[in-house]
Amino acid sequence: MVELDSTTNGVQLTEHEAELYDRQIRLWGLESQKRLRASKILIIGLSGFGAEIAKNIILAGVKSVTFLDDKDLTADDCCSQFLAPTTEVGKNRAEVSLTRARALNPMVEITADKEPVEKKEASFFEQFNVVVATGLPKTQLETVNAHCRTANVKFFAGDVWGMTGYSFADLQEHEFVEDVTKHKTISKPGDKVKTELVTAQVKRQLSFKPIKGIFEVNPEHQAFRRNVKRVGPGIYVLIVLHQFREEHNRDPNYSSRNEDFKTLLKLRDEIVDPKVCPDDAFQHIFSQISPTAAIVGGVLSQEIIKTVSQKDSPLNNFFIFDPETCRGYVETF
Amino acid sequence: MAAQLDGVFVNSLQDVIKASKILVVGAGGIGCEILKNLVLSGIQDIEVIDLDTIDVSNLNRQFLFHKEHVGKSKAEVARKSALEFNPNVSITAYHDSITTPKYGVNFFKKFNLVLNALDNRQARNHVNRMCLTADVPLIESGTAGYNGQVEFIKKGMTLCYECTPKAAQKTFPGCTIRNTPSEPIHCIVWAKHLFNQLFGETNEDEEVSPDMADPEAGGETAGEAALNTEVDDVNGKGDIERVNTRQWAKNLNYDADKLFNKFFHDDIKYLLSMSNLWKNRSPPQPIKRGEFPEETTNHTTNNASVLPDQRIWSLEECYKIFSDSIGALKSDVEKLADNDHLVWDKDDKSAMDFVAACANIRAKIFNIPVKSRFDIKSMAGNIIPAIATTNAITAGVVVMHAFKALAGDLEKCKTVYMRPTLNPQNYLLVPEKNILPPNPKCYVCAPKPSVCLQVDTTKLTVKELRDEVLVKTLNMIDPDVMLESKGLIVISSEEGETDCNNNKKLNELHIVDGVELKVDDFLQQYELSVLVFHADAERDKPLFEIVGDRDAIKQKSEIDEEAEKAKEETAPGDGPSPSKKARVEVQDADEQDDDDLQLIEDDETEDASAPSTSSNANLKRKPADSAAGEGCSKKAKIVDSDDDLIMIEDDD
Repeated sequence: MVELDSTTNGVQLTEHEAELYDRQIRLWGLESQKRLRASKILIIGLSGFGAEIAKNIILAGVKSVTFLDDKDLTADDCCSQFLAPTTEVGKNRAEVSLTRARALNPMVEITADKEPVEKKEASFFEQFNVVVATGLPKTQLETVNAHCRTANVKFFAGDVWGMTGYSFADLQEHEFVEDVTKHKTISKPGDKVKTELVTAQVKRQLSFKPIKGIFEVNPEHQAFRRNVKRVGPGIYVLIVLHQFREEHNRDPNYSSRNEDFKTLLKLRDEIVDPKVCPDDAFQHIFSQISPTAAIVGGVLSQEIIKTVSQKDSPLNNFFIFDPETCRGYVETF
Repeated sequence: MAAQLDGVFVNSLQDVIKASKILVVGAGGIGCEILKNLVLSGIQDIEVIDLDTIDVSNLNRQFLFHKEHVGKSKAEVARKSALEFNPNVSITAYHDSITTPKYGVNFFKKFNLVLNALDNRQARNHVNRMCLTADVPLIESGTAGYNGQVEFIKKGMTLCYECTPKAAQKTFPGCTIRNTPSEPIHCIVWAKHLFNQLFGETNEDEEVSPDMADPEAGGETAGEAALNTEVDDVNGKGDIERVNTRQWAKNLNYDADKLFNKFFHDDIKYLLSMSNLWKNRSPPQPIKRGEFPEETTNHTTNNASVLPDQRIWSLEECYKIFSDSIGALKSDVEKLADNDHLVWDKDDKSAMDFVAACANIRAKIFNIPVKSRFDIKSMAGNIIPAIATTNAITAGVVVMHAFKALAGDLEKCKTVYMRPTLNPQNYLLVPEKNILPPNPKCYVCAPKPSVCLQVDTTKLTVKELRDEVLVKTLNMIDPDVMLESKGLIVISSEEGETDCNNNKKLNELHIVDGVELKVDDFLQQYELSVLVFHADAERDKPLFEIVGDRDAIKQKSEIDEEAEKAKEETAPGDGPSPSKKARVEVQDADEQDDDDLQLIEDDETEDASAPSTSSNANLKRKPADSAAGEGCSKKAKIVDSDDDLIMIEDDD
């Protein structure tokens, strides 16, 4: 994905970069850091969740980040959107996030684009290595995902509603290396057996599926259904919330909590048995709650870093966070 | 913010969030993230404490700090940055250590909840005890690389932080460091000791010269002349006065060549004269300035695939860096007041250069693989890799648990592990199945805590009992010790009151096998019975060991006896008295190459700042096994993947 051609490969990190990124280079190595430094990321939707993703990848040291958002900052964004000052309510979310975002790491180029995503042609997405889509209705997610497939750009989606959230990846055909650790015998035959750990890098490949249809109730969810007792209502809550967004062109709002809660239960009843997805699951889905934005945003950012550096096995393809237990698990749909 | 908008949270949660007062201990990686989550969620009253200042290497994750804040107080800058996110809350910042007596039990009692974001075990243990005493719930957290861990601790309900044994700090016997190094870490520890001898605080346990009392040397009377730098004609009148290494180096005006020749030639020659040491080891090769042997390794100079710090230095380069760093350190030390000294810091260029150069020169002498400055920094500085994402996720779980704890849903606050890869159930964030109850044998939270101390009572001094056993190992702050059977105060926290006991061996004060000591720490309000078991210390064995309960000690002594018998058959007759087995402390980090046990400590206090290590899963399960059988077997299932480890510390 990020090609290490002569322009990247021959380049030394500056002394300042080596110092700044020291603790992470000790974890993922110099090669990964160089790939990160060459990568260009698009983040659609500067909610609190978008801000968390932006923070983590800017700190990690990517080349550039573009914020695409036509929405204005609202009071409830301020429950988790720490890049936008609370005094800027009513102004474009992407633009008012620039100053603090740039202060996180002055070496990263950060720009804001306030055009609606539906105005963007397929070719717009070609300039990025990774596209992250948040806050979009499912039909638009499918369109952006399709554009990314055409442009051969890695696609992520994700969202946080209250304390609930998910991330999704369509990396198409993804190649990566993985460290495999083995015990190697180093003692001479006959002596007491002594081993040491040796690490070898293995090349792997994974195929991903697009997001299309995943937020409709479909037979693939049947396997999940059996796990509901163990992991919580997960995917069904997300399906209901996406359906609400699709039908109302907005998310449930704290100021109309009681009505929206009832609407959600009604939608739920059309889709799934209340025993599988109980009422309580919709008590904590208003606004975006900061710790959940941090957890799901943290997981999604780490997946971006893995993808760009082509190191370690990516999560395929859904990560779902259950706020009740703090369980975070992966389902492949 | 969230709690200020009616309807975001359910009412009951909104009310407790608005009414709660929370203490955050540590403003590093996890601490910054926790503060952000707390102010955005609308916690009205927050206090944060951190003794550290901001370093450039923090900025890749401690996002409340920017370049212009380097050198400033973490607590104060974190407060200011977090208030920008939500100006409607109150944050009090302390640039201070949480272990100072100012922060006593009454301080802790002010809070509804304490959140630990530390990077060292000492501070974690201390806060654990303070929270138990004050009966305030505590959420403990730590990260190391892609691993993270969040534990809820409540007196009488859950395991406390010290209910599970933690892997001991790795230490090395003095004679290995001084006489017979065989691994890079031995050379690195030696080099740090050398730094302290020359520029830092001198500590008698950190001798760098050959150890003549090494029992393995077999009592040879090697030529004292080789050590003649230990004495010097200082006053010019021909009087021989014994001077310490620091004074000796000062008198030489820190001449790099002379220092080099003493440590890497003369001392090595002396070691060679202790010929018993080299019967089964390959002998070291002394190196003299100007007579460097030819090296076969190719030292590349400009390779873009590694950082400059990741290159391996030639002997010539080592010498140059040795000499340059001594020059710089000399001028640093000369700027200080007469009795002041430097403190070794991995982030100080000259201090780090000096240790890397000395460790590598010594490694070459002993034919031990050399390491890059980058790797030596990890080992010498106990660096735990740290990234923004793991800290953000871990701090997120901390605050999710905080909501549950404040709302009274304590049974939902199960320990959660963040894993680098999926577990067999495809979980990335893995909660425990059950809340694990306190370990009834815990030497901290049991109703009548007691611990067994296996010790060589003829060798350990009272001062060492205080400093090494009670303070360093058992993490007390200022202990009083009483021998009840004799009505004797052995150690008093009143200054000077028991100084006369300091240099006495334990047995001189009737502290012998079978004796019980009453130990009391006033600040922690912690009383502990210490049962003393005598065991002779051998070469390469520490003078003391804390060994769980009586049963553990019995089993152990049986094993030891067998080993003893086997040894006696081959052992030579009376040798000289064994050398002091000063153990040298080493950071946990280097244990990371020890196979399955992964130790994680953060170098800074980041998130879990000194998170201590959690123990590996096996160890962890143990107390539960004995205490509450049922949940445990299930737990084993969850945790049982290949990485049973989890020791975590936050970076700073």
